[in-house]
Amino acid sequence: MQEATVSFKARAERALADPTLKLAIDRTTGTAERKRAVAMTQFPQFEAARERGKRIKDHVIANLDHYLLEFERNAIESGAKVHWASTAEEASQIVVSLCKQANAKRVTRVKSMLGEEIGLPHALDEAGIERVETDLAEHIVQLGGDRPSHIVWPSMHRTREQVSDMFKRAHRVPHQEETIEAMVASARRELRDKFLSADVSISGANFLIANTGATCTVTNEGNAELTTTPPRVHIVTAGIEKLVPSIEHAFLMLRLLVRSATGADVTQYTTFHCGPKQPGDRDGPEEFHIVLVDNGRTRMLRDAALKEMLRCIRCGACMNHCVVFRQLGGHVYGGTYPGPMGAVLTPVFDGLESSRDLPHACTMNGKCQEVCPVAIPLPTLLRGWRDRSWREGLEPTAARFGLSIHTFVASHPRLYRLGTAIAIKVMRLFSRGGLVRGMPGLGAWTKHRDFPAPARRSFMAMYKNSENKR
Amino acid sequence: MSARETILNAVRAGLDNRKVDAEAVRREADALLQDLDAVRPELPAGALVDAFIARVTSPKVAATAERIKDVNELPAAVRRYLDLHKLPPSVALQPAAVLKNLSWHGLETRGEVAADDIVGVGIARWGIAETGSLVFHSNPETPILANFLPLYHIVMVHESAIVAFLDDYAAVVVGQRPPRNVNLITGASGTTDIEGSLVLGAHGPAHLHVVIVKDTPEL
Repeated sequence: MQEATVSFKARAERALADPTLKLAIDRTTGTAERKRAVAMTQFPQFEAARERGKRIKDHVIANLDHYLLEFERNAIESGAKVHWASTAEEASQIVVSLCKQANAKRVTRVKSMLGEEIGLPHALDEAGIERVETDLAEHIVQLGGDRPSHIVWPSMHRTREQVSDMFKRAHRVPHQEETIEAMVASARRELRDKFLSADVSISGANFLIANTGATCTVTNEGNAELTTTPPRVHIVTAGIEKLVPSIEHAFLMLRLLVRSATGADVTQYTTFHCGPKQPGDRDGPEEFHIVLVDNGRTRMLRDAALKEMLRCIRCGACMNHCVVFRQLGGHVYGGTYPGPMGAVLTPVFDGLESSRDLPHACTMNGKCQEVCPVAIPLPTLLRGWRDRSWREGLEPTAARFGLSIHTFVASHPRLYRLGTAIAIKVMRLFSRGGLVRGMPGLGAWTKHRDFPAPARRSFMAMYKNSENKR
Repeated sequence: MSARETILNAVRAGLDNRKVDAEAVRREADALLQDLDAVRPELPAGALVDAFIARVTSPKVAATAERIKDVNELPAAVRRYLDLHKLPPSVALQPAAVLKNLSWHGLETRGEVAADDIVGVGIARWGIAETGSLVFHSNPETPILANFLPLYHIVMVHESAIVAFLDDYAAVVVGQRPPRNVNLITGASGTTDIEGSLVLGAHGPAHLHVVIVKDTPEL
């Protein structure tokens, strides 16, 4: 990932200076936030459902070995082949070798964040297999040659004008009219024959159903079904935390997932895939493979705090409501998953040293935890990474030095009062009309906004004064 | 050690290598399905079929619906729909005997749904009032692609096959061997991938018309 070689701050600066990006982010996250709010007013049972959803996920995590084995047994009985992968590389290799065994020239893919996490697009390209992304947003990402910037709307960083240009360059029969409807129709024309002529399809799973061995996908476009039905081989890659005991439990989670993600009550298409085609079926794959992926999840299980993150159902509500994400967009985060949930997960996958800036890019306003459909205490988990980064000595020397001075001064009240008295005087020298527009040492702040001038006297000074008057 | 063993061992270590009591796990899982009314939306009062139709035709699902008294009225309903939308008198039928055996006089019909078909006619096994969803199980009479290829999808469902909640559908099929695919279809295909604005007809059908028939299902 080239992006990751540039520092987080430099990436953030660049994103902040990009007016097109800001427009694109606002259009999508704004709509998502509004629609979710409406959905909540229509679902007064949300709090109770959320508590239930949390308990379902906790129950599965607490019995994960049991459910993994039950799922495996039932999947095999349905005719599926089950594979296990400890790491991202292992998982990608399994998928690539299955594609090679199938002599695949063309592979169609349904959007899957796990696929991104394990580097599957890259691995397929490396192996020289034609990869067709069928989700409209992933198609846009593929044409743009970049990466998803949101887990529900991967091409959220693109405006309609940019998409129009890309389609006109790449599509065989592009749109004439400059409407989003015409652009969508252009993609439909472009992808239709590719769906039908692929050798292998690859999808993720929103849920793995333990008591049947089925996998579940939710989409609005219908691309999952068009993708996974015609090819001879269908491969599912899924994280081991995606299990639920039964389809009944999946439905409870589904009500939370969709409302939180898009504000709809249910996606247009909810499909369960169980084994290969059955005798007499007119379509469907002859081979059905499921790759169960760990990639850091069992490490999270051993950590009392991070274990809670295994509840995550990847709805994206936390990022839609994050004041930082809405300024920066997803690419700045550098990992597969952006926003608050990404800032918790990326240190797990990539190590804290290269991602220690992410837990800091948070105002601790608590909005993400408030909207999380499985009540993950995201701010607490982010604070946990900050603590660890401090303990492991990963914070830069300047910050450690500054904080140690602050600690010393703050624990010596006289020194602290003297310091504030001097600071007030100096800052007031630089202030005009109640605002400081620039001052040595305040540059990082005043570059983007003015600093309010402090009151003439500190609170402590005024308090003392009033006490003396009594 | 295989990846399977590595993962299972790591999971067990993460769970302090406690003994799994399968019976206790099952009881706990069942307990999580108690008192469903507290964790799902309410249905409007009145007949299930009315709630279903209200949902299907609501802006959230944005499909159209009509009722017929007898399955033999389906071809006429299809004909009216084609005329209304100025579509050619030609439909692809899901290869189900109940559809094939109807009298499609005056309409050109094909016994399977192809990639470039404009109008497809199908039959759903169940309807769900909570969400306005249609449920299909893949089988020799129900190919999956038939639900996704046409631009206009007309789907018949029996009134007696309408259930209240998603959970009620789950209860109907509990213990059965699942088909390769279960499709829950709720409205036409749509996307919000460009700037979050909803456009119908992304990859699947752009229009969904639901025909509810009064007689009992021949399942």
